[in-house]
Amino acid sequence: MGRYVARRLLQAVPLLLGITLATFLILKAVPGGPLAAYEADPSVTPEDLARLEHAFGLDRPIPEQYLEWLGRFLTGDWGYSLATHLPVLRMIGDRLPNTVYLMGTVYLVTLLIAVPIGVLTAVRQYSWFDHLVTGATFMAFSTPTFWLGLLLIIVFGLNLRLFPLGGMGTLGSAFDVGDRLRHLVLPVATLSLVGIGHYVRYLRASMLETIGQDYMRTARAKGLMARIVIGRHAFKNAAIPLVTVAALDLPELFVGALVTEQIFGWPGMGRLFWDAATRSDYPILMGILTVASTLVIFANLLADVVYGYLDPRIRYS
Amino acid sequence: MTRLRRLFLSLSLVSLVLGACAPSSAPPAGGTASTGPTRGGTLIFALWQEPETLNPLYATQTVNTLVNEIAVEGLTSVDPNGEYVAVLAREVPSMQNGGLKVSADGKRMDVTYRLVQGVKWSDSAPFTSADVKFTWDLRMRDPKVTSRTGYDKIEGIDTPDELTVVVRYKETYAAFPELFGSLLPKHLLDGVPDLSKHDYTRRPLGTGPFRISEFIAGDHITAERNSNYRVRDRPLLDKVIFKIVPSREAAIAQLKAGEIHGMWNVLEAQVPDLEKDPSIKVSSVATGRLERLEFNLAKPGNPADPKVPHPVLGDLAVRRALLLATPKQQIIDKLLYGQAKPGRSALSIGWAASKDVDQEGYDPAKAKQVLDQAGWLPGPDGVRAKDGIRASLRLSTTSGDKVREDAEQLLVTEWKNIGIEAKIQNSPSSVFLGTWAQNAPRPRGDFDIAMYASTPDLDPQVYLAVRFQCAQIPQTANNGAGRNVNRFCDPQADKALDQAGATLDLQKRKEFYAQFLRILNDSVANVWIYNNNRINAFRANVGGYRASSWDEITGSIADWDVRN
Repeated sequence: MGRYVARRLLQAVPLLLGITLATFLILKAVPGGPLAAYEADPSVTPEDLARLEHAFGLDRPIPEQYLEWLGRFLTGDWGYSLATHLPVLRMIGDRLPNTVYLMGTVYLVTLLIAVPIGVLTAVRQYSWFDHLVTGATFMAFSTPTFWLGLLLIIVFGLNLRLFPLGGMGTLGSAFDVGDRLRHLVLPVATLSLVGIGHYVRYLRASMLETIGQDYMRTARAKGLMARIVIGRHAFKNAAIPLVTVAALDLPELFVGALVTEQIFGWPGMGRLFWDAATRSDYPILMGILTVASTLVIFANLLADVVYGYLDPRIRYS
Repeated sequence: MTRLRRLFLSLSLVSLVLGACAPSSAPPAGGTASTGPTRGGTLIFALWQEPETLNPLYATQTVNTLVNEIAVEGLTSVDPNGEYVAVLAREVPSMQNGGLKVSADGKRMDVTYRLVQGVKWSDSAPFTSADVKFTWDLRMRDPKVTSRTGYDKIEGIDTPDELTVVVRYKETYAAFPELFGSLLPKHLLDGVPDLSKHDYTRRPLGTGPFRISEFIAGDHITAERNSNYRVRDRPLLDKVIFKIVPSREAAIAQLKAGEIHGMWNVLEAQVPDLEKDPSIKVSSVATGRLERLEFNLAKPGNPADPKVPHPVLGDLAVRRALLLATPKQQIIDKLLYGQAKPGRSALSIGWAASKDVDQEGYDPAKAKQVLDQAGWLPGPDGVRAKDGIRASLRLSTTSGDKVREDAEQLLVTEWKNIGIEAKIQNSPSSVFLGTWAQNAPRPRGDFDIAMYASTPDLDPQVYLAVRFQCAQIPQTANNGAGRNVNRFCDPQADKALDQAGATLDLQKRKEFYAQFLRILNDSVANVWIYNNNRINAFRANVGGYRASSWDEITGSIADWDVRN
């Protein structure tokens, strides 16, 4: 197993290099550029533009720019935002806790609700509960988050005045846990509902498949308690597709939710990415995209490792 | 890309849904009986765009200025009428008060500022002439500053004593009062190797009514009362919080719900709805931002050769007909809900503007007549032609801008009526407003008619010169320098502008500008469609704000108050 993981990690290196190169070239090919904001300023002269282009290193050949970025990135210097002039690491550091706070809550809430529901619908196949959940989950994962988010804002924020319309906390007042939680409710509800829909569908399908297996009948025939049959024998095997989905969602803890953060005014990574994209702020985009691709690769590896734990028949060499 | 598209979709939906469903019954505004301003309290002002930096030397967006100007002041500023006023200087230097001295040969000049006594930075350190010199040094040294325009005309700065600054210019520079609008503290920043890495970019230290105490990225910026502010009993508020919200629509919903006290930059289309709400007041004033139709006078190409005239637009009669068939007032009333002023000339407000320079009004019958006389006669498809050339033009603007796209539709119909065909060919703003090096169509000259806006500075010299002088036509020879996208070239206009720039007497300069603006209007190189309004909205219990054509609404923040 150890050698397998080591090999996978080694394979990840050229893959990541390729990803960063492709990302860099794509970003550079996007029309416009980071100096577009200066263009609109009447006091900025062509000489000013040339000076800024040089100061930001944008006048050099693209391969050189890439190599320099890579060299610095590897030594922990992620460069500076072209818009705010702040270190990329600091800008990500400012936003990351907010996104982890939001997406981590979403992740937990989603799993805590989806797993029992998914198991229950499979165990009680074709019961009224199963039909209800099936209908509800189809609705949930067919709902776009921006629509659901807006709907929740209008109903619970504007009309019922139960929850704030956006932000992480009430401005101008001291830190208050209750206030923080109230701000968390609507964005978490928006993202979790959609996530629960997905997870329940996956889990129900794989649970049904597992329950029909011969070893399940054997387990029941041995006289094991239903709880153990379902919990240990069925769920553990059925969880493999769920692990794949859940692991691939892990990078979202870092990337954040672009649309939902925008709607709820959540100061997270999603909005940072959006702002950087609109300004062609390469250093920020490169930083976020590189970490995100690294996380995707690691999440895949993690999923593979967890398979081995869940199903000892799966062996890596 | 699908993510971005989803975001666009979501934002337009936010506007639809929030706009339509926001309740009209907001809590009533109180305290109408009280007299005089209220002291203390916190005001929350929403921004739908986050300032990239609060360092005035690096600022590129208006929202940066909006926030940093509550903390950072300069030697001079501009009043709502567009006149220069002294801030940290005792008076605006001029020939009359002896602050402005031109050398005997008329080639150089010295400007002497006497500083207001007893001014302190918000950390209590004294403000002195050394800070003024330091600000100039920094601007010339730091490679990342936005602009050095004007500052590069300075040879040196002398500080004979703590309250006197003598700025020695290499040449006469009429726009000198525009400089030193923001001053940086020497005691804090002296010896800092790279200003962009200093905390100052997020929490600038100044002499203004407030000091920035906190900048939480993506969420809010807090400013607290500067107890060292030089004006007695000001500011009135204890605290101002700039709340970063995702969109104008979100800000409006929060304003109606009373979660915030004011918001920045309302769209024209949003004004009628806000005005219906008795708990909200709208502050609206015309600005210099001028939406125009820019005609390419040269034959389109990449790059266009300015010596070859445009086959259609090269004819003054066509340009004049397009002007006569552009219903400015209808565009303003229909698309901007009356929140704009019809454009008159390249400069419509401020000291340099001339009230008697204007363009011809809407008259489609006359437009047809002008085209008939010039030999542009209707062809079988209704489109006019002359010498085998059809009067068919591309009309371009930034895609995704609803007002502009609606205006284009309206113009296509209007122009069709007079026999001129317009084909819409829009591109994203990053492309449309791109540079020569990026191969963008405007600087390269590969367009017919461009619709966009720009804003002249209070001193319009540089703005006008780079846009309308012969030498500023971007072409291969000058490596695309200059912004004369019109490819407009008139020796008389060049001369008038040069004279305006070489004169220090404001009254004389005004006459030269009038001369220039008239020549430019006679050429009809542009249709000046409208001047945008600056629109902010407040809860009715907020007072003391004053709209200015020349400054963001926060220029008056020392006088703002909130009644409870």
